[in-house]
Amino acid sequence: MNRETADAPLGVFQEQILVAVLRTRDEAYGMNVRREIERVTSRSLAIGAVYATLDRLEEKGLLESKRSLADEHSRRVFTVTAVGGRALAEVREMRERLWQGIDLRGLLKLAGG
Amino acid sequence: MPARHSAPILPLQLLRRLVPRAEREEVLADVQTEYAGRVATDGRQLADRWLWQQALASAPALLRWSWWRGVRGFEPLANNYRPGGPMLKHVLADVRYATRRLMARPSYSLLAIVTLALGIGGTTAVFGVARPLIFDALPFAHEKEVTAFWFGGSWTENEFTYLRDKFPGYKTVAMYRHNDVTLRDDGAPARLLRAISSSADIFDVLGAHPMLGPGFKKGDDAVGAEPVVILSYGLWQELGAKQAIVGTRLTLGGTPRTVVGVMPRGFWFPNPSVRVWLPQPINPEGQNGSFQLIGQVAPGLDVYHMEAQTAALVTLLRERFTYVEEWDKTRNAHVDPIREDLLGPMRPALVATFAAMTLILLIACTNVAALMLGQLEGRASELAVRSALGANRRRLAQPLVVEALLIGLASGVMGAAFAVFGFGTLARALPLGTFGETASFDWTLFVAAMSFAMLAVLLVVLVPSVSMLRRQHANLQNVLSLARTGGVRGAGARVERGLVVAEVALAMLIASGAALLVRSVTNLYAINPGINTEGVAVIDVAASGGTPASQRDQAFNELATAFQAMPGVQSVSYAMRLPLRGNSNSFGITLAGEGPLEKSSTFFRMVSQDYFKTMGIQLKRGRLFQSTDKLDSTETLVVINEALAKKYFPNLDPVGRFVGGGLHEQQRIIGIINDVAEGALLDPNKPARYYLATQVWMGNNASFVIKMKDPRHAENMLTPLRQTVATKTPLLALLRTTTMQRVFEDAVGPARQIMTLLSLLSALALVLGAVGIYGVLAHFASRRKRDWAIRVALGLPGSRVITNILRQGVSLIVVGVVLGGVATMGLSRFLSTMLYGITGVDALAFAGASAAVLLTGLVAAFIPARRAGTVDPALILREQ
Repeated sequence: MNRETADAPLGVFQEQILVAVLRTRDEAYGMNVRREIERVTSRSLAIGAVYATLDRLEEKGLLESKRSLADEHSRRVFTVTAVGGRALAEVREMRERLWQGIDLRGLLKLAGG
Repeated sequence: MPARHSAPILPLQLLRRLVPRAEREEVLADVQTEYAGRVATDGRQLADRWLWQQALASAPALLRWSWWRGVRGFEPLANNYRPGGPMLKHVLADVRYATRRLMARPSYSLLAIVTLALGIGGTTAVFGVARPLIFDALPFAHEKEVTAFWFGGSWTENEFTYLRDKFPGYKTVAMYRHNDVTLRDDGAPARLLRAISSSADIFDVLGAHPMLGPGFKKGDDAVGAEPVVILSYGLWQELGAKQAIVGTRLTLGGTPRTVVGVMPRGFWFPNPSVRVWLPQPINPEGQNGSFQLIGQVAPGLDVYHMEAQTAALVTLLRERFTYVEEWDKTRNAHVDPIREDLLGPMRPALVATFAAMTLILLIACTNVAALMLGQLEGRASELAVRSALGANRRRLAQPLVVEALLIGLASGVMGAAFAVFGFGTLARALPLGTFGETASFDWTLFVAAMSFAMLAVLLVVLVPSVSMLRRQHANLQNVLSLARTGGVRGAGARVERGLVVAEVALAMLIASGAALLVRSVTNLYAINPGINTEGVAVIDVAASGGTPASQRDQAFNELATAFQAMPGVQSVSYAMRLPLRGNSNSFGITLAGEGPLEKSSTFFRMVSQDYFKTMGIQLKRGRLFQSTDKLDSTETLVVINEALAKKYFPNLDPVGRFVGGGLHEQQRIIGIINDVAEGALLDPNKPARYYLATQVWMGNNASFVIKMKDPRHAENMLTPLRQTVATKTPLLALLRTTTMQRVFEDAVGPARQIMTLLSLLSALALVLGAVGIYGVLAHFASRRKRDWAIRVALGLPGSRVITNILRQGVSLIVVGVVLGGVATMGLSRFLSTMLYGITGVDALAFAGASAAVLLTGLVAAFIPARRAGTVDPALILREQ
C-alpha cells in the first residue's frame, strides 16, 4: 500500500473518486464526492473511506487540496492535478483499447440470458 | 438548509474521535447536514440507521488513515496553519523522539529500567507465589460451607464414631489424617507417597468429584471393607494417564488396592503434595488421637457464626468423654472456615513480603521519577521554547508520558524475566511448606509484570508532569533566562527533596521491619533446645506397611551399621521421633504403689542405644542404655528427663523406681537426662520417657541421626547417606534428608525465613535509596555549581562546599528516618505474630535500622559533595 506510486495503475475506487472530483468541479469536498459516487453508482459509501482515499491520492500528487474560505465551514476542496488528469486519461484510453471490437449488445444478451 | 435535528450522540462521537483533528469540524458539519436532510426526506429512523452505518463502516478506513498519516508523516497543504493533526502521528513522532533520547543517554535509561525492573520483578514474583494462596478459590465447591474443627490432628475414631450422626449444625462431618504410604512398582525401589486416610464421605464434604471413576462409596471406611484408593491427577499422569486405570490394582503400603477414582487436575486437599486418598477403616473403639475433622455446615448456617452449634457439640463431648487437662477438647472449642485453616498460617509471611516488595517498587518509582525530573530540568529551555511556540499542556506532557511508557515497557519485560528467575527461589525461601514445593507460575505472571509496570509508569510520570505543568505557568521570560544561566531553584528542587525524604522513609520502613525480625530470631536462637544440633545429619526412612517387626528391626540395624561404616561418621543412632518436630506420642503415667494419676501426660520416645550421645544430651543421674540391655530383659528400662523427675518424684531419687502407663507397669527408671525440647521450641519443658528401641518400638518410621566427626560435613554427607539407603536396604523407603540444624531452624519458624528475605529486601531498598539520594544531591550540586565556583573563587574553602551539600543530604535523610520510624511503629503490629521476646517498639532494632539508613545515605551524599568541593572553579566558570 505504501509502495504505490503515481505510475501504478489506479484502483477502481481511486478512479471513481478522481472522476467524482472532476464531476463536482468547485464543490469537490469529501461529502460531495461521496454523494456524487453514491448518486451515480447507487450504492452507499462510507465517508471515512472517501476521506482516506482523497488523502492518499493527494499524497501521490494526483489531487491537491485548498481551503475554501467562502463557506460557513472552511472545507478542504480538491482539484485534479496535471498528473491526476494524465493518469485518468491513461486509464480511460487503456479501457477503450481493451473494449475495442467487443459487441456490447452481444454482451448484454449474454448477461441477460 | 433544512432544520437541524439532534443526531444520535454515539456515532457522532465515534466519528469525532477518529477523524484527524484538522478536518474534524468540517466532516462532522457535513455529516450533520446530510443527516438533517435525510431526516426530512426519509424519516428519523432511516436517518439514524444511515448515521450508524456511516460511523461503523468508516471506522476501519479512518483508523488506517490515521496510522498511515502517522507513518508517512503526510500532511496536506490545505491543513497548514491548522491546529492539531492526527493524534497518532504525534504519538509516533514522540515514540521516535523518546527512543532517540533514551538511546542517547544509555546510563540514564539503563538505571531507570533496571531500577524499575527490580521492583517490578520482585513484586511480580511475590504476587505469583501469593496469588494461589491469597486470591484464588480453593479447588473444591464447598469452600464457603466447610469448617475445620479445633484440636486439629487429635480426634479419635472413637469420638468420631460416637458423634458422626450427631454433629449439631452440620450436614456431614468427615475426618482425615496424614498417612504416607509406599508405592511399589514392579522391581523399582519403593517410593513414598503423601497420602490422606479419611472417612469415605470426605469428598462429599468438600464438594469435589473424581474426573474418572465413581470415588469412595458409603461403607468404604468400615473395618474389613475392600481396600480402595483415589489418585491425584499428577500421580495418574506418572502412572501412564490411562483411562482404564479405574478398577485396576496398585500395591500401596503392602496392600493391593483397587483404584476407584482420579481427581481432576488442580485439585488438592489438604495441600498440593498429597498424591493419594485412602479410606480409613474406622475402628469404633480406636483411641489413637491423630485425626482432623472438617464439616459441611447445614444449609442456612454461616461458617463464621457457628458458636451456638460448637457449644452444643462441647456439651455432647462433656457428657460422654473425660479428658486429661492437656487434651481437653471442651476447652477453647471453635471452628474455622476451611480456607483459614489450610492457608491462614501462611498469610502473615506472604503479606509481609508482598508489602516489603511493594515498598521497594515504590522506592524504584520514586527513583525513576527523580531521574526524569532531573532530565526535565536539563530540558527547561527546550520546553520553554515549545511552550512559547504554542504547544498546549497535552502536547508538552505527551512526550514525557511516552518516554515513561517506553521505560515501563522495557522494565516490564525485564521484570517478568526477573520474576521467572526469582519465582522458584522465593517459593522455597518463604515458609509455605509443601505449597512452596509445588508452586508454579504461568503466563499470568507476565500479565502481572506488565500491569505492575504500567502502574509504576503512572506513578513515575505523575511527579515530573505536575512539576512541569506547574512551571508552565511561570513567567516564560523567567524560565528562559534561568535556563540559560543554570540557576534554577524552587518547585523542581522542592519536589526532588520530597522524593528523597519519601524514599528514605520507605527504606527505613523495610529496614526496621527486618531489624525487628532479626532481633526476634536472635532471641529464638538463644533458646537452648537441650541438644547439640551441630554436625548431625538426619535421614528419615519408612518400612512398607505390613513388614514383619523382626524384618523391620533388622533393616533398621543394617542401615545403622552401613551408616557407621561410612567415612567421617562419629556415631549413628535412630529414634522414632526427633525433638523439635511437634507434639505427638503422649501417654499417661502411673507411679508404682500410687494407682493411676488423673490427667497425666508424658512424651513417649523410642531411641537406639547411642541416641543420647549422638544428640549431645547430658546424663544427669544414673546411667544410659548399654549394649547389655537386651530384648530378653524381664523388665522394660526407661530413661526419664528432669521435668518428669521434678514433677512426679519431687523429693525422691527416681533412679531404680518403677513407673507404668502406656506399656505395662514394670518400667524401671535407670537414668535422668536434661530436658529436651521434644515438641515445639517455645513449649515449656514437659515430662518425657525414653525407651530402648530394641525393647519397645511403634510404627514403621524411623529417623536416623548421624553425628559427623567434622561438624561442617553434615550437609555434604546427605547425598552419600541417601545413596546408602537406596543401595543397602530395599525394604526401607527414604522419606527425607536434612540436618539437625535445619530441623532446629524449621522449629524457629517462619520468622527466620522471613527475616532472611526481609534482610535481603532491605539491602535492596538501601541500595535503591542510596541511588536516589546520590542522584538528587548530584543534581542539586551540579545545578548550583556556578554559585559554588564563584564563592570558591572568592576564597570559600572547598571543605565548606562539601559540608554544605552534606548538610542538605543529612537533613533530608534524618527527616526520612524519623518519618519511616513512626510509620514502622504504626505498622509493626502486622509483624507481631512473628515477634518473640520483643515488642513492636524495640529501641535496639530502630537504632540499628536508623544507623544503617543514615550510614548508607551519608556515603551516597558524600560522593557528589566531594566532587563539588574539589573541582577547580576556573573550569566551571569558563564552561558557562
